[in-house]
Amino acid sequence: MVGMIAALQAPLVGIVLIWAARFKLFSRHAEASARRSALTRLVGENRALPAYRLLGGAELLIGAALILPPVLRLEGVAATTLTVGFLGYLIYAKRAAPDASCGCLSAATAPVAGRSIARSALLVPASLLAAWSATGWWTELTARPVAGAGLLMAELALVVMLSPELDHRWLLPLRQLWVNVTHPLRGGSGVPLLRSVQQLQQSRVFRRVGNLISSDVREHWDEDEWRMICYSARYQGRPATAVFAVPLRAYEPDSVRVALVDDRAGATLVTL
Amino acid sequence: MTPKMDRRRLLSTAVLGGAGLVGATALGSLAPEAAFAAEAQPVEPGAPDPNFAEGRISKISAGTLLATGSDGVLHSIRVTDGTSIWKLYPTTFDQVAVGDGMYARGVRLPDGTLAADSIWVNIVNLHAHIAAVGRNTLHLDHKGQRIVAHVVPGLSAAVYNSTPAVSDLSLLKVGRHVQVLGAWHPDTNEISIATVYAAA
Repeated sequence: MVGMIAALQAPLVGIVLIWAARFKLFSRHAEASARRSALTRLVGENRALPAYRLLGGAELLIGAALILPPVLRLEGVAATTLTVGFLGYLIYAKRAAPDASCGCLSAATAPVAGRSIARSALLVPASLLAAWSATGWWTELTARPVAGAGLLMAELALVVMLSPELDHRWLLPLRQLWVNVTHPLRGGSGVPLLRSVQQLQQSRVFRRVGNLISSDVREHWDEDEWRMICYSARYQGRPATAVFAVPLRAYEPDSVRVALVDDRAGATLVTL
Repeated sequence: MTPKMDRRRLLSTAVLGGAGLVGATALGSLAPEAAFAAEAQPVEPGAPDPNFAEGRISKISAGTLLATGSDGVLHSIRVTDGTSIWKLYPTTFDQVAVGDGMYARGVRLPDGTLAADSIWVNIVNLHAHIAAVGRNTLHLDHKGQRIVAHVVPGLSAAVYNSTPAVSDLSLLKVGRHVQVLGAWHPDTNEISIATVYAAA
């Protein structure tokens, strides 16, 4: 069992290394990514891209050697050196240039965070196990295909989950799906006050008495199919309350009614 | 029946009863000369609007608010029976607290006091992007600052594409631009949402 686990770390580390190399060597965005990465701090602005390409070449070479036969201890040792180097680089980048992208696997700009470091840390014991293993992964995989493939898939999934560069492929759609299912923003039911005020402001009566109104909404309440909205107003030099009756559910600005009432005297001054 | 209910009954009857219908001329002359007869507001170009005040409330006493403006100017604001007070929703003077921010509009009295027609307490108007969505909360990215905006069920409204407001906010999407009117929770980065304007 332990032999199988150890043997299967070689393809895991190999796949991750080739994936990283593919981006560093062949992507159109590699140059920009190199300039954004913390490598510029480490080796200087001008040498960042050659260093980046060189690293990609080494990754491709070691990754391919890990996956292809024969099984050599040297491959695992080289991979361990590389993964330990990456871990050190990431910790350095986190301290020296916290805003810089790690530039590890894709052009997506994601500052070095705990997840990238965890992914890098995961690859160190994996490459150590690969160096320790003496059997080829293909022999172990043909001996126990289901368990082997399951383990490899689980490990690859873990690497994907620890890669902020790949979030837009699976995490964001998953979150969107969750929002679509749970509707966390459904809010309340009923007719918001603003809807009644909008209706009121589009009504014919508001155009006629609007210039008498001096305040914003003072109070409102619902009465059967009507919503009452009160404003302060001035009418013929005396203070008054403008009370509007707005249809609560229907949108019929023309049926809005208004009364100007002198509160103190209790007298209705105007109704429209 | 409480006085408040009595008053509401009076007002409802006045508007729905339909008694004493008065024609348009009750609202004054329809002639254009009437419009020019009104006194012009004596505001100098570029000068601050004398009928507006804003600031943090430092003292509340007997219908008067003392507020320190963002430019350091002290404003004295008189609240009357006819003053509307907004604090996420239309409310009353006793809901105003020391430390609240406020905008006030009214008429400047000769002694410099602003007799307020309307006061908006803690009102904010933000242009932001939705960074994340939670259970009845929006996390907004406002010029690089994170703001937590709470949806208040029954109060918060959304206006999509300038159509009439609805209470359903579920069409808001992460990454979209929104304009939010709301009430600030003093000394925090949190607000309660009154209205969200968005494209949908």
